[in-house]
Amino acid sequence: MSTPVAASVLRYRPPQARKDATAWLGMVVFLASWTMMFAALFAAYAALRLRVEQWPPADLPRLPLVLPLANTLAIAASSVAIQAGLRAARQGRQAAVLPAVAAALALGAIFVGGQVALWTGLWRAGLRPDGGPFPSVFYALTVFHALHVLVGLGGLAWAVVRAARLAFGPARHLGLRLWTGYWHFVLAMWLLLYVTVFLL
Amino acid sequence: MTLPPLAAPLQGHGWGMPHDASLDGWRIDELINVTSVFVIILFFIMVAWMLTAVFRHGRSHTAKYDHGDTRRSIAVALGIAVAIFFVVDGHLFINSVLVWQRIFGNFAWAEAQPQAVRIEVNAHQWAWAIRYAGPDGKFGTPDDIVTLNDVVVPQGAPVIFQVASVDVIHSFNIPNMRMKIDAVPGMVNRVWFTPKETGQFDIGCAQHCGANHYKMRGVLTVLPPADFARWYRDASANSARAWDPDDKDAQWAWDWQKHARI
Amino acid sequence: MGVGLAEARENLMEATAYDDIQPIHPEPTSFWRRYVFSMDHKVIAKQFLWAGLLFLLVGGALAMMIRWQWAYPGRAVPLIGSIFLRGQGGAIGPATYMTVFTMHGLIMIFFAITPILIGAFGNYCIPLMIGARDMAFPFLNMASFWTFAISLVLVICSFFGQLGAAGAGWTTYPPLSTNIGTPGSGQTFMVAAIFVTGVSTIMGGINYVTTVIRHRAPGMTWMRMPLTVWGLWLTAVLNVLFVPVLGSAALLLFLDRVFGTQFFIAGAASVRGGGDPILFQHLFWIFGHPEVYILILPAWGIVNDLLSFFARKPANWYRGSVYAMCTVTVMSAIVYGHHMFMTGMNPMLGQSFMLLTLIISVPAEILFLNWLRTIWNGSIRTEPPMLFALGMVFVFGMGGLTGLYLGATATDIYLHDTMFVVGHFHLTMAAASFFGSLAAIYHWFPKMFGRKMNPRLSKLHFWWTIVFMTLLFTGQLIAGYAGQNRRLYNPYEYDFLKHLLPLNRYTSWSAFILMAGQFVFVWNFIHSLVAGEKAEANPWQVGTLEWTIPSPPPHHNYDVIPAVLRGPHEFANPEVREKLGRDWIGQSEELAGSEPGAAAAVARA
Repeated sequence: MSTPVAASVLRYRPPQARKDATAWLGMVVFLASWTMMFAALFAAYAALRLRVEQWPPADLPRLPLVLPLANTLAIAASSVAIQAGLRAARQGRQAAVLPAVAAALALGAIFVGGQVALWTGLWRAGLRPDGGPFPSVFYALTVFHALHVLVGLGGLAWAVVRAARLAFGPARHLGLRLWTGYWHFVLAMWLLLYVTVFLL
Repeated sequence: MTLPPLAAPLQGHGWGMPHDASLDGWRIDELINVTSVFVIILFFIMVAWMLTAVFRHGRSHTAKYDHGDTRRSIAVALGIAVAIFFVVDGHLFINSVLVWQRIFGNFAWAEAQPQAVRIEVNAHQWAWAIRYAGPDGKFGTPDDIVTLNDVVVPQGAPVIFQVASVDVIHSFNIPNMRMKIDAVPGMVNRVWFTPKETGQFDIGCAQHCGANHYKMRGVLTVLPPADFARWYRDASANSARAWDPDDKDAQWAWDWQKHARI
Repeated sequence: MGVGLAEARENLMEATAYDDIQPIHPEPTSFWRRYVFSMDHKVIAKQFLWAGLLFLLVGGALAMMIRWQWAYPGRAVPLIGSIFLRGQGGAIGPATYMTVFTMHGLIMIFFAITPILIGAFGNYCIPLMIGARDMAFPFLNMASFWTFAISLVLVICSFFGQLGAAGAGWTTYPPLSTNIGTPGSGQTFMVAAIFVTGVSTIMGGINYVTTVIRHRAPGMTWMRMPLTVWGLWLTAVLNVLFVPVLGSAALLLFLDRVFGTQFFIAGAASVRGGGDPILFQHLFWIFGHPEVYILILPAWGIVNDLLSFFARKPANWYRGSVYAMCTVTVMSAIVYGHHMFMTGMNPMLGQSFMLLTLIISVPAEILFLNWLRTIWNGSIRTEPPMLFALGMVFVFGMGGLTGLYLGATATDIYLHDTMFVVGHFHLTMAAASFFGSLAAIYHWFPKMFGRKMNPRLSKLHFWWTIVFMTLLFTGQLIAGYAGQNRRLYNPYEYDFLKHLLPLNRYTSWSAFILMAGQFVFVWNFIHSLVAGEKAEANPWQVGTLEWTIPSPPPHHNYDVIPAVLRGPHEFANPEVREKLGRDWIGQSEELAGSEPGAAAAVARA
C-alpha cells in the first residue's frame, strides 16, 4: 500500500476511544438543540414582560423568596455531588461513586418536591395558568424545566443502580459522563430561570 | 344615509393587476414591472443556456476536464452574481426604501393635510366595523359615523386608517388602491392612501381568519369631494339620532393614536 | 493517542473481520428486527421512504380538492366527495375547506418532503457516501423513526376530530389557532403532531451531524465529500438549531389551547393584558425561514452531484458550492422578517429584513451559476436522474426569480398573501424538492433495491410532470398577480376576481393531469421493485463510494472501510482516460503512478 494513504490512517484511534468521543459530540449537539428551545422560551418570556409596565400584575400573588432559594441550593448541591461521583469514577475510586450519585439523586428529588410545594402553594393562593401572561410564563417555564429534571432523575437512578454494581471505572464511565453533562445543563437552565423569573 | 347610485364594485378583467385607482399605487406597479423585465430576461437566458447545453453538449460532445476553480472562472461567477445583485436587487431595494419613506410610511405628511379623512377599522370575524370621528373630530362620541363593511371616502384627499381586531388576525386589503395592512388583536396598525378616481372597489381580508374568511368583503366608495361632504353631514346627523349610550358593544372606538408601534 | 504506522496499516489493510476500525451492530435474524425495529440505516431509510410517499399521496389528494373547489365552486367532488364528504352532499364547505388547505400544507412539509429527502435519503446516503458502516447512533436512529410514526398517528387522529382537522393554515397563526379561532381536538392533535415530529427530526439531526463529523472514511476530508452529504449535513445543523424554536412555539400554543394560558391570546379574550399573537409569528418564522432551506438543501446537494455525474464533468467550483450552501445556512435565520412585512412593523426594521433577504440571494445565485456551468461543455446523458435534476434547476430558477418581488417591502404590499406567494413557494419548495426527491429516487433505486427502473416510463414521468407542474404553478403566479388572495374558499365572491374562473379552471386541470401522471411513477416503482432488471454495482458509472459495493449493499456496507484519495467529481480527466480507458474514476480507486497527485491531495486534507 502506498504511504500517502497510511498517513491519514494514523488519525484513527482505537475503537472505544473513538466511540466515547463520538458519544460526547452527540451529547453536545443534543444540548445545543435543547438550549435553543429554552432560549426561545426565555425570549417569549422577555417579549411578553417588556410589553407591560407592571410585572407581576398588582392583583396576583407574589412569588415567594425562601422556597425557590432552597430549591436552588438543592439542585446546585446535586450537581456538585454528581460531579464528585464522576471524578471518583475517573480516578478509579469506585467505592466513592455510589454515595455521590445517590446524594445527587436525593437532592434532585428534594428539588422536585420543593417545586411541587411551590406550585401547590401558589395555586391555593390563586395563581392559575389562565390568569394572564404572568402565571402563563411562570407555570410554563417551571413545569417544562421540572419535566427535564424528572428525565434527569431517571438517568441518576440508572447511575445509582450501576454504581451499586461498581460498574464505573476510569475506562468505563461514558454513561455517567453523559448524564452528568445533562444534569449540569438542567442546573444551568434553572439558574437562568431563577434569576429571570424569581429575582428580576 | 343614502349614497348616490353608483355601479357595483369594479370588475377585474384579463390577467393583469386590478385597475389602480390610487394616487401613489403606480409606484408599486412600476417597481413590479421594471423588475419583471429583468426577471424575464434572466429567465430566458437560463432556459436558452440549459437547452443549448442539453442539445449541443450531449452524449456525442466531449466533456471538458474543468473544475471551474481557476481565478478567472471564480471571478466571472462572482462578477455576474454581484452585477445582478447591484442592478436588479439594488433597484428594488433603493426604490422600496424611497417609496416607504416618501409615501407609504409618511404618516406625518398625511396627518398634516387639512382635508385628510381619518377612519378607524375594527375587524372581527367576519366583517369590518368602520368608524368616522364625525364633525367634532373625536372618536367615541355620539356624532361618530359607524358602518359595517362600508367605507366612503372623498376623491383626492389622503385617507388614514387605524386598524385593529377583536378576535383573530385579519388583513385590511384594498387591491385597487394597492393598500394592505394586518389587523392584529391587541395592536393598532395604520395605513394610508389617496384615492384618485371615483367609483366603488372591493375591500377584502388578506389573512386567513376562519371559515368565512372568503366572505369578509367590504366596499370602498370614492365620492367627489362635495358629495362626500354632504354624505358625511347626513350620516353624522343620523348617527347622533341613533346613539344609544347603553349599547356598550357599539362603542368600540379608541383615541386616535399619534405614534406607530414596532 | 494515535497508533503506530505499521499497526494502523495492519488494522486497516489486513483485517478480515468487519469490525476493524468501525464496529457494526450484528446482523439481525428475526423478521421484526430486520424489517420493523431495525437499527440498520438502510432499512430505516426505506421506512421513512414508504411513510413519506404515502403521505405525499394524501397531501396531493388534498391539493386536488383545493383545485377542484376553485374550478367548480360548490360542486360535489368526484370520488373523494362520495367517500369522505357524504355529510355535505359530496361538496366541500367553507369549514372543510379550511382543514383541507391546512392539512395539505402541514402534511406536505412535515410528513412528505421531510421524511423523503431528509429521513430517507439522509439515512441512506450519509453513511454510504462517507464510507461508514452505519450512523453514529443506530439505536437513536431507530427511535427517530418510531417517534415519527407516533406523530403520523397524531396526524390521522386530527382528521377524526369532531370539529374537523386542523384548520388555521399550515402557519397556525394565533389567535385563530387557539380555542378562540379553532376549537376542537383536531387542531390540538396537529399541534402535538408537529411537536412530536420535531422531536424525531432533532433526533435524526443529532445523528447526521455527529456521523458526518466523526465517521468519515480515512482520506474523506470535508472538501472531498459529495455535495449530497454537504446538503444533508447543513440541513441537519439547521434542524438541530431551529426545530426547537418551532417546538417552543408549538408548546406554548398547546398550553394556550389546553391549559388556558395567554401566550398568544389578545383582543377581547385576553386576561390582564393577554399575550402577543405576533410573538408566535416571530418564533414560527425564526424556525420557518430556516425550514425552507432545510427542505431545499438536500435537493441542492443532490442535484449538484447529479449534474456533474450525468454531464460527465467535474462539479463547477466545488468549493464555491460548499461556501454558498454554508453562507445560506448561516444567514437563514436572520431574514425571517420578510414573512411579516404586513404585520405593522417599523419600516426601518422592514428595510433591514429586506436588505438581508436580498443579500441571501447572492450565494444562491452563485450556486445556481455553478450548476449552469457544470452542464456547459459536458457530455450530457439524459438519463432519468439527470432529467429530474435539470427539472429542479428549471423550477428553482423560476421560483427564485419570483422571490425578488416578495423580498422587497414595497412590492410585497400588493403581493403579500396572494397566490403569487403560493406560486413562489410551490416552485422553490414543492416543485424543486419534489424534483430533487424524484431525481434521488431514480438515481439510488438500483442501489437500494438491486433492480433498475424502466427507463421509458421514467422519462415519460419526467416530461408529464415538468410540463404540467410548470403550467400549474405559473397559473398560481398569474392568479396572484391579478390579486387573488390566499386561502379563499370562493375567490369569485369578489368583483375584482370574478373573471379569474377560467384561469383557475385551466390551472386546476393542469393539477389533475399532473396528479394522474404520478401513477406512471407508482406503477414503475412497484413493478421495478418486484420484476425490474437486476442492477449491477455501478449502473451509472459514477465514483462515489456507495457504487463500489453490491446493489443492494450488505448489512455492514463495506467489507473494508475504503481509503479515499480524491473528490467525487473526477470526470473527463485525460490521465484517467489514458490509464483506465474510461471517463470516471472512483473516490477510493488507485491510479497507478500518480503518487505526486495523491500525496498532494492527502497533504491538503
